[in-house]
Amino acid sequence: MADPMTVLVTGASGFVGAEVTARLTGAGHTVLALLHRNGDIVRNSGRKVSPGPGTLTRLPGDVTRPGLALTEDDRRLAATADRIVHCAAVTDFGLPDERYESINVAGTRHVLDLALAHRTPLVHVSTAYVCGERDGVALEDELDVGQQPGNGYEKSKLTAETMVRKASAEGLPVTVVRPSIVTGAARTGRSRDFKTVYPVLKTITRGLVRTVPGHYDAALDLVPVDHVADLVTEAATRFEDAEGLTLHAVGQVLTLRDFSDVLAEYPSFQVARFVPPATFSASALSDRERPYYDRVISLYDTYFRRRVRFDDSRAAAFSGRPAYAGGRPYLRRLLDHCLRVGYLGGPPPREPAANPTDGSTP
Amino acid sequence: MILTEDQLQDLLDKSLAELPPGGDRAVVLEGSIAEGFGNPSSDIDFLIVVRSEDDLPTMPSLLFVDGRRVEIRTRSVRQLADQFDALQKGAGRPGRLSEDLLNRCQRLLNSHPLRGHALVDEVKAMLPAERFARIAADWWAHQARQSLRHAMALLCLGETDEAVDWTRAGLVQTVKSWAAGRNETYLEPKWLSMQLDRAGRPDVRDRYWELEAAAPASGDPHAARTHLTDCLAFAGELGLTGVPWRPERLTVERVAGVTTWQTDARVHVVRARREVFALGERAGAVWRSLVLGRPLPRVLADASGAGVAEPGPLLAAFVRYGLIRLAWKGGGTVTPALPLAAPPGPVTPPPSTAQPLLSVRGAAVSGPEAIDLVPLPAERFAAATMALVWSNVVVENAVEDLTGALQRGQWRVAELTARRAVHAALRGLFSAYGVNPLPADSDLVRRTDLLPPATLPLRTRAEELLRRAVDSPESGDALLADLRDYIALVRGTSGAEAFPLSFDSADTWRATLELGYDWLRIGAYLDAALPLEEARDLLASNGAQPHQAT
Repeated sequence: MADPMTVLVTGASGFVGAEVTARLTGAGHTVLALLHRNGDIVRNSGRKVSPGPGTLTRLPGDVTRPGLALTEDDRRLAATADRIVHCAAVTDFGLPDERYESINVAGTRHVLDLALAHRTPLVHVSTAYVCGERDGVALEDELDVGQQPGNGYEKSKLTAETMVRKASAEGLPVTVVRPSIVTGAARTGRSRDFKTVYPVLKTITRGLVRTVPGHYDAALDLVPVDHVADLVTEAATRFEDAEGLTLHAVGQVLTLRDFSDVLAEYPSFQVARFVPPATFSASALSDRERPYYDRVISLYDTYFRRRVRFDDSRAAAFSGRPAYAGGRPYLRRLLDHCLRVGYLGGPPPREPAANPTDGSTP
Repeated sequence: MILTEDQLQDLLDKSLAELPPGGDRAVVLEGSIAEGFGNPSSDIDFLIVVRSEDDLPTMPSLLFVDGRRVEIRTRSVRQLADQFDALQKGAGRPGRLSEDLLNRCQRLLNSHPLRGHALVDEVKAMLPAERFARIAADWWAHQARQSLRHAMALLCLGETDEAVDWTRAGLVQTVKSWAAGRNETYLEPKWLSMQLDRAGRPDVRDRYWELEAAAPASGDPHAARTHLTDCLAFAGELGLTGVPWRPERLTVERVAGVTTWQTDARVHVVRARREVFALGERAGAVWRSLVLGRPLPRVLADASGAGVAEPGPLLAAFVRYGLIRLAWKGGGTVTPALPLAAPPGPVTPPPSTAQPLLSVRGAAVSGPEAIDLVPLPAERFAAATMALVWSNVVVENAVEDLTGALQRGQWRVAELTARRAVHAALRGLFSAYGVNPLPADSDLVRRTDLLPPATLPLRTRAEELLRRAVDSPESGDALLADLRDYIALVRGTSGAEAFPLSFDSADTWRATLELGYDWLRIGAYLDAALPLEEARDLLASNGAQPHQAT
């Protein structure tokens, strides 16, 4: 095991952050967990993170504010960190630009300020979808190649990663980990949070939207949260090997055809027809479908058009593991878990939901 | 034994005289007579054990000695060792243990030695009798659990008489498990009465016969339930675990390779990518209410909630046809098998006779509760239905073109366009009857001889329309009118009358496309060939209307 060290984790209660925190303390490291809210750090299993053998110290803070709004004492404590793992981000789709700006962009700026102050090595958690709206293979070494971000979230993550790269050029030791769409655990399909692709699955399988613009060969890359947490943790603990690298934490792409065929295995699921985007008209949807389309599906439209695949040569070389190749069986595990806990499978509501469903993000 | 030692030795001498002499070998008597059962018509089963590493033939030699049928098998010591080894290794998963292996081991262990006693003892020592008794008891217990759980499920599903039969099967298996635990390991249930007579527990024997003789009235769920409950209680007394009356432990689970495809209101279920079941309205509602992984009682409640009063028999049929499976929480898939029979596996009903077979909205069904097997292989079903959809699109398109040609006085163009419409309508007709791939256009009229006689008038009218010349506005209008009549007739016959008139408005065109995309989705899943250039065009043009695409 690497020598015990102190790691500042932002977004420590998040989907990935909690798992990273658990792995670090489990390996005997001290974690300074930056938390915006009081409350437990809950693992994907639903259990609280129980520190040990490493210690866990909570630092109340806020990445949107300079100095992360740390108290003087906590700032001194943070200065002792051997590593910073920056997981904090807003990943929901369809939010006002200011939210992405304050959390994802300014938040990264403030974390960079802290890292630069003591040249603390930084592991920055980005997204594979900084690749934007394009087809083909996205490489780990590529960043800004003139791509068009698919939405405000992607734009903010691209800006943040560009800032990180600039700090790296100025001498800050940096590693970037880019997860794709983070979903349930590889073995059980269990998911603590039903964000990212989950609301889309719910809307489609309940038949709330039956016609969706997209290409059957468009590809979504789903990666289990445990695989992402493993790679982020490893980047922090083996930083000397990871320094300077950008690592894709990705899975096996699933095409819309895969989704369509697997959803058809569930008698109670409705399966949307994907129609070429050129023929699709949201205004032609029924009054019942349109609100769900606007609130959930439209936020994901861009992902139903892209035929992108993520090269992970560097991540594989670094970790010694190939990308997670879960394929259709993994998708079944995710769906089975959703059925088990009742997230999917129920009859559709009589009326559209009063509040926007949180569509969210890679 | 019903034969004395001398009689047996005499039979063996006579039998061996007919076989080539062997080296170091032993001979035993196996089977019912060795067990102390049997009667004058019972076979004599000898096993020759050869001290060898070789594979000896499995097929027995059949002889008739002194009017008795004699079977002689040979096994090498190595083969027997492998047999016992396989049994011990598989003992942890009784559900996968083959009955044949169990039977072979049992017969040898309980055999009566006739020659080479030392070698026989050596072979029998490979698996202690107590260990074998435990394995056999576990195996029967596993079978009993499956039958009793299945009976429980059938009772919940309202299949009362079937539940009684499986209860009875479970009862036999339970008591066989109990008897095996008392070293009464002979597998065949035929001699169960004698096994119970000598098992030393007349109370168990009497209770068994009492339950066995009970005959719950046909169709009486209360009586069937009482019988099952009594049998479960008896099973519990005999030490069988894992079969409490807890139907909520039964869950409905996915069968690999079964998928659901809905077009309009019709639900199609594809089994193993090969067979298509078309579900009537009520069967479809029950199927659509199925949430995998849920307990059976909840599934029944959900199905009732979907508006079907008695969904049980439909769910039972889904299980029978292998479209869903039942599992017991913590106990895996419920795989019932009658005593010493293989699990029956999915049943396939006779193919549907509904005619015409297909419409643009799906396969025909015989009634609201139908689970009809479409008499076409799945990929031909998909290809034929896609062809039907696209031929309808082409008919619409051709009529549109004909109208335009007539307006401009393009008589030759009008003639050709009308023929295109006639051919497309015929292609639709063929497709509705499941003909696929289709005959060439030039052969379409002749090949109507493949279709039922009711379609004969269409042939006559098609021939007439294909010969029709246009040389004036009047003859053109007459052709258009006759063509429309003809198309209406074809649609009426092929079940396509509900098809939207594609070119009437943007909305109807979209509805057409959606139906087309639904069928393409099924076709893609089944790897069916896209039937027509038009389908390819439609995809390539991103679905734009033909007259807007240029």
